[in-house]
Amino acid sequence: MENYMKKSLSTFFAMLLIAVSYTSVEAQQSDYEIQQEFRAEYSQLADWIDNAVSTTDLEDISDRIDELESDYRGHSDLINAAIYPDSYQSRIDDLRSRFSAAQQNIATIEELNERVENLSTDLDDFRGQLSEMDERAEALQREIRDSQANERRLSNLVRQYRENVEERDRFVGEFLEDLLSRYESVDASTAAEIAQAAERLEENPVDLVRTILGEYVNYANQQTDLSAPEYLSMKAQHNYFTRLWDNIGERLTQIFDAEEPVQAYQEVRDLLANWNSAIDNRLWGAISNAFSQNGIELDNFTNASGFNNALQSYVNDATQTSRDQNSEEDLERFQNFSNFWNNTVKANWGETLMASEVLSYSQLASIDSQLDDWNQAAIPTSNLMLILFLISVAVIIGLVVALVRKK
Amino acid sequence: MAKSKLLTLFISVALMISVSACGPSLVISNVDYAQPIESVISPDADNIATDERYAISFSVAPILEEENVDSADQIRLIRNNKGYYFVTAAGFSNVYVFEPAESELKLKRKIEITENGLGQPALNQRGDHIEVVDRATGNTYQVNEEGRI
Repeated sequence: MENYMKKSLSTFFAMLLIAVSYTSVEAQQSDYEIQQEFRAEYSQLADWIDNAVSTTDLEDISDRIDELESDYRGHSDLINAAIYPDSYQSRIDDLRSRFSAAQQNIATIEELNERVENLSTDLDDFRGQLSEMDERAEALQREIRDSQANERRLSNLVRQYRENVEERDRFVGEFLEDLLSRYESVDASTAAEIAQAAERLEENPVDLVRTILGEYVNYANQQTDLSAPEYLSMKAQHNYFTRLWDNIGERLTQIFDAEEPVQAYQEVRDLLANWNSAIDNRLWGAISNAFSQNGIELDNFTNASGFNNALQSYVNDATQTSRDQNSEEDLERFQNFSNFWNNTVKANWGETLMASEVLSYSQLASIDSQLDDWNQAAIPTSNLMLILFLISVAVIIGLVVALVRKK
Repeated sequence: MAKSKLLTLFISVALMISVSACGPSLVISNVDYAQPIESVISPDADNIATDERYAISFSVAPILEEENVDSADQIRLIRNNKGYYFVTAAGFSNVYVFEPAESELKLKRKIEITENGLGQPALNQRGDHIEVVDRATGNTYQVNEEGRI
């Protein structure tokens, strides 16, 4: 017990000594030192805030600002005099304002990092799915080549192949739509921050767009025996890509190809132009062949307006011929064109014709209207009335002659 | 004759007094010269101490000579409310009180603080006096332009 008392007393005195010496040191502090320490602590906190890169870095800083404020509140007059025209309060406010700005910046950076990570994952998934679709398309093409003998099976394979190509186009389109929605509203400063974060990506979206376009150009160049609607689908897909690139291209290249955005933008434009030429090389011939195979010989054309003119000219000429000749042959010619136009061109190609901007809705409607005229002109006119009239006149004349003779 | 001389002398004196009364005589009282914080100045190679904040520059060589030291890394300088400058440094035994004059600092008082010399001195402004702190020993002293209080 005695020992315990002794121990307690000695602890008490030791603590008292520490407290007294602490107070004495506190009292003997230099004013100069106080303001220097305030400046140093302020600078250190400001550095920590400015260099913070994660929310973890910021965790304790708010408490440290509160501590700084309370530790030096009693010396505020001294500090105000020392750091004039700054003040103790303005430095504390400055730290709080820096802290809040840093919090916002870090939140933005972390969100961007997450966005880039998600994008990276999406790109990987996209590449994977695209490869699968390409493999499936190649397998189907192989099967089509090997199944020439069986017409029914061949037709089935061709249908599957077309569906696969359509699915691939749709998939690419949806991916790019998604990309557009993510980046079309990004402001310049955010774009710069994304650009920094995006440097980590192995393959960024601009590279991917270039790769996809390269594949499309090769595909359009290699496929020589596709049908008109397939080339029209390609043309529609090309137009979609062009519109998309017009909307998003500049922003995407600024974000993901920040070193040479103008060159990257132009490269994609060149690929789009190549793709368009590759499609055009086959498209107009394929359309012309499709009409020709159905007994409709259009004038030569090499672009959309040429195709429209050829159609207009064909229908106008045929209408005029029907008016002049009004033969059974004209009627057959009309019926043939009308069947192909309504059942194939409008029914099967209609959407892609408009999406590919080969024919507009008003151009299709104009041909329809001209077809009505042609229909009228092509229906053979009946001679029955003329015959009846002539018979009536002959009967009247006969009666008149008979009456005169009787008199 | 003597009366006339006295009258002339009286008129002259009166004239001189009135002329001098017409000269500049504006006096501003209760000026507070106090620097809230001491200045800690490193003298240059020529022992010139320059305080940018309070715009004063002077040679510390005479003080070093008085203290029998060759150099001082840092001079601590503070001005009290009456306008006297208090100067000391690590290793000094005294605090020097200077009165500013035209291009001069005149020694007003040399206040002995410790024979052994101050270890880590600091000067704090404390209203009617200056507090001298030796942070090395924890001792504090109060001084004004007249000496230790």
